[in-house]
Amino acid sequence: MLDYLKSPVQTFQDFLFLAARSLKNVTRKPIYWKDILMQMDSIGVGSLPIVALIGAFSGLVMTLQLSRALAKYGATSQSGEVVAISIVRELGPVLTALLIAGRNASGIASELGSMKVSEQIDAMRALGTDPIQKLVVPRLVATAIMQPLLTAIADLVGLLGGLLIAVAVIGNTANQYWSSAVDALRLNDMVQGLLKPFIFAIIISLVGCFYGMRTSGGTQGVGLATTKAVVVSSVWVFVVDALITQIFVTLL
Amino acid sequence: MAETILQFDDVTMEFDGKVVLDKINLAIHSGETYVLYGAAGSGKSVLLKLAMSLLRPTSGRIQLLGQDITKMKETELFGLRAEVGVLFQEGGLFDSLTIADNVAYPLRNQSTLRVPEAEIDGRVKESLEFVELGDTLDKFPSELSGGMRRRVGIARANVTNPKISLYDSPTAGLDPITAHTIMSLIIKQRAINKTTTVLASHRYQDGSMAANYSWDATAKDVVRAAPLGQYANLNTTFLVMDEGKIAFAGNQEQLEASRDAYVSQFVLLQPLPKPGHDQEQPHV
Repeated sequence: MLDYLKSPVQTFQDFLFLAARSLKNVTRKPIYWKDILMQMDSIGVGSLPIVALIGAFSGLVMTLQLSRALAKYGATSQSGEVVAISIVRELGPVLTALLIAGRNASGIASELGSMKVSEQIDAMRALGTDPIQKLVVPRLVATAIMQPLLTAIADLVGLLGGLLIAVAVIGNTANQYWSSAVDALRLNDMVQGLLKPFIFAIIISLVGCFYGMRTSGGTQGVGLATTKAVVVSSVWVFVVDALITQIFVTLL
Repeated sequence: MAETILQFDDVTMEFDGKVVLDKINLAIHSGETYVLYGAAGSGKSVLLKLAMSLLRPTSGRIQLLGQDITKMKETELFGLRAEVGVLFQEGGLFDSLTIADNVAYPLRNQSTLRVPEAEIDGRVKESLEFVELGDTLDKFPSELSGGMRRRVGIARANVTNPKISLYDSPTAGLDPITAHTIMSLIIKQRAINKTTTVLASHRYQDGSMAANYSWDATAKDVVRAAPLGQYANLNTTFLVMDEGKIAFAGNQEQLEASRDAYVSQFVLLQPLPKPGHDQEQPHV
């Protein structure tokens, strides 16, 4: 039993070491601004179309699904409120995180994994650069900046998708939908809706970097690292989401 | 006595409980050439990575240029690594950078070197011309052949004029003509800059060239330093690694005279020892 647990515990410990070193290095010089901007472009701008598309459809489908339930209680005028709360608190952050995990954790793991197996990371160390500073920190910072922004965009587009259904299918006026949505949102929801993607971003980027940098076994190893990065970061997104939600529900 | 450049004292390395290097003792002095032979997995690459602390030994002590690197912090190691040139088995060229930027990388990033930007272009060009690739500055590694990438790796390894150069299987997977070119460049670098050289290889010819050939600046080619049939022994020591241990250490003559079943496999044209026939074979 202890032997069985040894490997995952060791892996988790290694992850914590990488996370601690990376977070400590965020303010340490040299700061590779060019790499940070390139990663922000790749992670943020590159993910924008898919995040917007999924955001719009989630708002749209959510409103459609809720329309029947709300009609049952004669509360169709409240569709804005229900959609706003579920999207801002939960669907926006989690769906965006899953998309970023699928698109970027895999990208990071495969890129760093390829560098690892072709000894580029060893070369980097041999030639005077700390790979944590050069490779991990820019990806961590870029994801932590871009993911909350992407989530805000997904929330907005999701609300617009909901608006479309509320007006075209349910028969609300646009004003009715917006005032219901805006009235429902409290500071607590906004904080929760932006804190979650910030924490998810740290997890996703670090998990991607972690599996990329411990890749071994050639191209097959790169594939395995990529799969692990997506699966593990997605699972952690749900676990941490439950924890944060619990904290907000209990304390605030 | 020449300065000790690299010293291993009882160095053991384990991966997941498996011993890959077992109590290695080694002292490499300035101007020497060490040739490491050994089967795949015998520990050659690990030994080279330990030499510049890209891996930490499980036990034992490693001294590089007189400093104990065994417990040195990564940030402290960067300065010391500027004195070491390395050519990795897989090349280690950065895919996303041009050839010029790859070669300039240590000049720009080694904090102890602090080479002014104005000087970098000239040194990169000089280094690439040294390996006869002066026209590839703006190309990317993917646009070059395997042999050319290896030559760029040599240029990058030596652009800082290191005190010691480590070459991990520089001729692996190359045709004999390209392999000869690569070895000629390594010999040229050793001769011109008096670089201490450690060379891991599978090919007997590589070690034999290192031990017997020197650079002729007039002919601009490598030439034998001793008449055919004689050993030049250009300050070259051969090591044969077997499952993490040094199975043989000595010069080329002693290597070719070895009757050890494992060691003799690395000697070209050396017949396997036969019972009752342990007299020396003539050098070819």
